[in-house]
Amino acid sequence: MLHRRFLIRELWQGRIQALIFVFCVALSLATTVALNGFSRDVDRSITGDAQALHGGDIIIHSHYPLSPGLREAVAGQVKDGSVETALATYEFYSLLRSVSSDATLFANLMVIEEGYPLYGRVELQSGRTLAQALKAGDVVVADEVLGRLGLQVGDRLHVGSTDLRIADVVVHESARPVDLFNLGPRVFVAAADIEAIDLIKTGSRVEYDMLLKVKKAEEVDGLAAALKGSAVSDQERVETFRTAGSRIKRFFDNLLFFLSLISLFTLLLAGIGMQSSLTALLREKEMTLAIIKALGATRAFLYRHYLLLALLLGLVGSLLGSLAGLLLEKFLPLLFADLLPPGGSFEFSVFDLVEGLALGLAVVVFFTYLPLSRLNRVKPAAIFRRQEENGGRGTVYFLTRLAGLVFLTILVVLQLKDLEIGLWFVGGSIVLILVISLLTRFALGLCRRWTAGPLSLRLAMKSLTRPGNASRSIVVTLASALSVLLAIFLLENNLRQTFIESYPADAPNLFCLDIQKDQRDGFLDLVGGDVQLFPVVRARLRTIDGKEVVRERDAVRRGDSLTREFNLTYRDDLLADEELLQGRSMFRKDGRGRIGLQVSILDTVAEMGDMKMGDVLGFNIQGVPLEAEVTSIRTRTKSKLYPFFYFVFPPEFLEKAPQTYFAAVHRDKAAIPALENRIVATYANISVINMAETAAELGGLMQRLSAIITFFASFSLLAGALILVSSILATRLARVREAVYYKILGARSDFVLSVFFYENLLIGLGSAAFAVGLAQAANWAVCRFVLEIAVRPNWPASLVMVAATMTLVVVLGVVSSIFILRQRPADFLREQGGE
Amino acid sequence: MAEIIVETRGLEKIYTIGDHQEHILRDVSLQIRTGEFVVISGSSGSGKTTLLSILSGLDRPTSGTILLSGRDITGLSEDQLAPLRNVETGFVFQAFHLIPSLNAIENVMFPAELRGDRQAAGKAEALLRRVGLWERRSNYPQQLSGGEKQRVAICRALINGPKIVFADEPTGNLDSENSRGIVDLLAGLHREQNTTLVLATHSPEIARRADRVIVLHDGRLAEGAENS
Repeated sequence: MLHRRFLIRELWQGRIQALIFVFCVALSLATTVALNGFSRDVDRSITGDAQALHGGDIIIHSHYPLSPGLREAVAGQVKDGSVETALATYEFYSLLRSVSSDATLFANLMVIEEGYPLYGRVELQSGRTLAQALKAGDVVVADEVLGRLGLQVGDRLHVGSTDLRIADVVVHESARPVDLFNLGPRVFVAAADIEAIDLIKTGSRVEYDMLLKVKKAEEVDGLAAALKGSAVSDQERVETFRTAGSRIKRFFDNLLFFLSLISLFTLLLAGIGMQSSLTALLREKEMTLAIIKALGATRAFLYRHYLLLALLLGLVGSLLGSLAGLLLEKFLPLLFADLLPPGGSFEFSVFDLVEGLALGLAVVVFFTYLPLSRLNRVKPAAIFRRQEENGGRGTVYFLTRLAGLVFLTILVVLQLKDLEIGLWFVGGSIVLILVISLLTRFALGLCRRWTAGPLSLRLAMKSLTRPGNASRSIVVTLASALSVLLAIFLLENNLRQTFIESYPADAPNLFCLDIQKDQRDGFLDLVGGDVQLFPVVRARLRTIDGKEVVRERDAVRRGDSLTREFNLTYRDDLLADEELLQGRSMFRKDGRGRIGLQVSILDTVAEMGDMKMGDVLGFNIQGVPLEAEVTSIRTRTKSKLYPFFYFVFPPEFLEKAPQTYFAAVHRDKAAIPALENRIVATYANISVINMAETAAELGGLMQRLSAIITFFASFSLLAGALILVSSILATRLARVREAVYYKILGARSDFVLSVFFYENLLIGLGSAAFAVGLAQAANWAVCRFVLEIAVRPNWPASLVMVAATMTLVVVLGVVSSIFILRQRPADFLREQGGE
Repeated sequence: MAEIIVETRGLEKIYTIGDHQEHILRDVSLQIRTGEFVVISGSSGSGKTTLLSILSGLDRPTSGTILLSGRDITGLSEDQLAPLRNVETGFVFQAFHLIPSLNAIENVMFPAELRGDRQAAGKAEALLRRVGLWERRSNYPQQLSGGEKQRVAICRALINGPKIVFADEPTGNLDSENSRGIVDLLAGLHREQNTTLVLATHSPEIARRADRVIVLHDGRLAEGAENS
């Protein structure tokens, strides 16, 4: 039987806690729903169509011209009809120059054969297709090229050794939906002009791709496997659109995954808020429950009504949260501006709404079943004697908690779609919450026993442990949320300071790549002044102490791969930012003063391959094998943007190898454009990278990502604020009672106010202090062991956070308690009827 | 003759609940002298508690005047009343009203600490020993029995040596044995320290021990308003 009037009255009487409960449910869902929908939007508009993203069914990739064997294999597949089309593309960076002015621009050139793109589209401003617009003698450029060089369609552009006419402007390119990882804007060049531009030379950093469109979709894997057999291993990569990695897809997948971890964390904290507000609501109802039980209400009656109450509120909260999530989803493109293509399709989905409701109800069930167990603990005798019953912590108690934990884990794993990370997340969150909870418990115990200091402070300390106070919940949620926020800030700050801001003022800020041997002297004359020139010999590492370096075993450790092609160099001395970790000098001399075949390695590559002093490394230098003993291990002391080489040889062994030069130059910022212009006018094939500009762009990207992450993490703070308000309201009676007692015994209003002030100050201080401790620990551990960069604690930021938290909590707490000051003692005592 | 410590003139108290007005006290004028033990008696709803709370400055009359030690306290604000409540008067309630977050000795010390008394701990110890609760000093209110709570409340009311102690049905929540003990304690302290004691009760047994009994009937003084 359902007693509707009872249900409605209960809801109305506890409306404030009910409202907080609803807000907590809504808060728990808003970011999750928004991100789920947003991920689908991104998938639909950017990363969903893998063929369009990669431009073909089969993608062949190499840093060298494709080997004759592979070319023949492709030609064979085209001939027998299994491959419908095969076309080559060449992608590289080069400086462009306006023909009419001295303006230069570092751009990403894509030389394409007719028929490109095989999949997806390149939208042009004129509405034409790329094939219609791009003819020999023309270029099609990104809008940025026009803007930065002050040109218009029809103007001429100096590309390499020739001038080309700007035929059209790219509006959107499905293979390059966003400009995240590109050092320069796109310029399409027709393959017919490849010789005229004369930019592809030995050692040039060109990506040679071949895109294949297969006739029968089911044959893609088989044809790719056949081509792999003809490819030069470790040099030519044959992938299908299903297996090929996309940096853009990886970027969005990683970012959205990380954000979903944060939104799940918010969900967890909001869940604690739900528990806290429901517990407060039931605590307020304790007398009613005791009376109802005394009148013969069964446990089933109470459970039925209160569970229905929680579900009703949960449903309202879920609906609100889902709608808020959908609204937020609409707002996210603004937050992600510059990271997303313009005009992406962001659609309202009923599925998101339904998913949000289902998730909300699941969350409500999980976070309300523990508070509802209070219904069991209230005995009719509570009418006569109000006291806390702790309830037995027997097998059933622990089993229900365990069941809850399993349920939560399943929920998280389903959301993340990743079992391992889901388990780590649940484990990590539980450890974080447990650590803060234990610290809080210890601190509250101290407060209870504290006897020093002014009376109002001592009273505030004792008030923290008053029955019904959610001090621990408040501190746990606030500290957890703040620690995550601060840790993100500290890490971003450390990364920025290491990679961008600590870049020495006098360090090279202009890098020139691919200087040919015969251009060396001319280049030095042209640039003039102090130039650091590094010979670059490209090679692969084959063996470490006789053991072959295998791609599978290598599996991209520390974000780099031992099987990739390396740039070797030769010199006798350490660079300015290097010092020896092991070995007395870079190379050892024998008794007759000669240096044998030796190599000095960087500590980072030594760690990647477990290399030690004395190991013999086997290299393949463009077909020529070379073995060298490790005689020193170097480390770097300054910014990571400074040029560095993993492997350095004594000059005599590499001087004769095919090589190019890499130059690092430092010039005034203002002088760089003119110098770039001179270099590109004289040596079109030399790639010039303006590092100052690149560092600024990287810094901007990091700042934007940090802002996005902080935006999502801030939602978890709201959970803490809600619990704080819920706790203050739940303990309203106790607070009024205390205030009245203080007044009866002769305390003035300012004394009462100071007790509340101290109480909230302590909560704010505790939350912030624990958060700072944990965030600093996380910052130290991640910087030290994961990023391996110098740890900067940034104490001023931590202090600002402590001050801001204390101010926020004090203002919120004191404002919520101010009504108590107006209460007259006799009025309160009369209302309570002398309990 | 001892001087007058409390005097009221024409006290009226009206409560307004919605549209309804309830007249609780009507034209109450009385005097209490220093060192007197006065019982305010009357049936339930006669206005005993209201009169006591107005006399002690916990509540304000609708009209009329209260003089405490010759000073008109009728129009004083809460903060002006605070030092009076702290030093001049003590109050013992039927429902004890101990601060739940403080243990027994901390509850007793509280008013003395509030006035900055450095001897607070010593005074609290003496009082708790006197009422036989020294061993229970670290217990919190919820860990004490009704009788114990009331003894702690009495110690708290006396720690600042008030001139006058008000007690509202101090035995109302206690069994007969504890009731006797509490009344003995209050009467003993009154005798020893010459503290004025104003006690509201409807127990004839307690009333018999008083110097004077003021009887209230429907908010009016029925007898005992003047000293004989």
